[in-house]
Amino acid sequence: MFNLLPPIDHAAYRAGIKAMAPLTPAITVWGIVTGVAMVNAGITIPAALLMTFTVFAGSAQLAVMPLLATGTPLPIVWATALLVNLRFVIFAAASRRSFMHLPWPQRLLASYLNGDLGFALFSRKFANADHHGNPEQWGYFYGLNALNWLVWQAGSVVGFLVGGLMPTDWGFELAAYLALAAVLIPMVQRLPAVAGIVSTAAVAVATVRLPMRLGLLLAVLVGVTVALLGEAWRDRHEPPASRA
Amino acid sequence: MARSTRATSESRVNHFHDWGYLLAAFAGLTVATLVTRGSFFMLPARYALPAQVERALRYAPACALTAIIAQGVLTRDHEPFLTFRNYQWWALIASAAVFVKTRNMVAMIAVGMTVFTVLRLWA
Repeated sequence: MFNLLPPIDHAAYRAGIKAMAPLTPAITVWGIVTGVAMVNAGITIPAALLMTFTVFAGSAQLAVMPLLATGTPLPIVWATALLVNLRFVIFAAASRRSFMHLPWPQRLLASYLNGDLGFALFSRKFANADHHGNPEQWGYFYGLNALNWLVWQAGSVVGFLVGGLMPTDWGFELAAYLALAAVLIPMVQRLPAVAGIVSTAAVAVATVRLPMRLGLLLAVLVGVTVALLGEAWRDRHEPPASRA
Repeated sequence: MARSTRATSESRVNHFHDWGYLLAAFAGLTVATLVTRGSFFMLPARYALPAQVERALRYAPACALTAIIAQGVLTRDHEPFLTFRNYQWWALIASAAVFVKTRNMVAMIAVGMTVFTVLRLWA
């Protein structure tokens, strides 16, 4: 039998819970909004419950809702979720030092739970630590992420029930796009990113006739390229020191 | 009644009750969560993330979200829908403005849905 948890320092576990506690109102709201938007997109409550307890990635869940609604081929659905999730690869690379010497089942569970907020708080506390991978860090990690998981799932379930009470013919599928815009806006702070999303939007609209929603992937490819070119251009024309 | 809502509600009835499709979709989506969050937790230490790749990865999520939103809001029935009668677009602009100003997600969605509903019923 695998032991899924590394040794945990209980004081650090409580400290992790305490550090996540101030964010619980925000997590609850985001969970409810995601739940409402998913149900408004047309998913049934049993399917939504299964999805939230397996997939456990709010932005990706919302992003694929319109694709699932129209029966988009699964490789496109999965590729879209992968693209939205790619930020987690950066998180994993940044926090791996604290986990990579654990047995693989323990690493797998930890990575499953390593979402946006847990990663942000964990990095803030341990990014400059002298030693990585000890019961204090694991305890803090599980304190953060246990609370995040619990509050997120509770919020989502409330959202499913609230969404189930709303009218289905009022065009409230729009809620999913608005919620995704709330995730998107904080990601777009600088000009290269703005150039990237504007070109993505243009290509996505222009290619909407392509079969199997392939235009989505094409649009992302163009957008990322434009953003990278924009970055290279900025680096050439502006000394790095002048950037915030 | 807005045509856009009817067009999507017809097609979604089938797919969200197709449990074979959904189960396969959720299995792959769970894998998508695991392989991204687990990537560098599971890889041996000798594999690092090259700076150039990290840069591209930083932009991909924003672009993917944008592509979904753009096709959802700016197209209808597989055609670009770029007219003043596109009420979803006005709702998105209004709610984005609210979010940029307040960073309040509930206010943002409430404003967006209100703008959409008011335009749909009375414009």
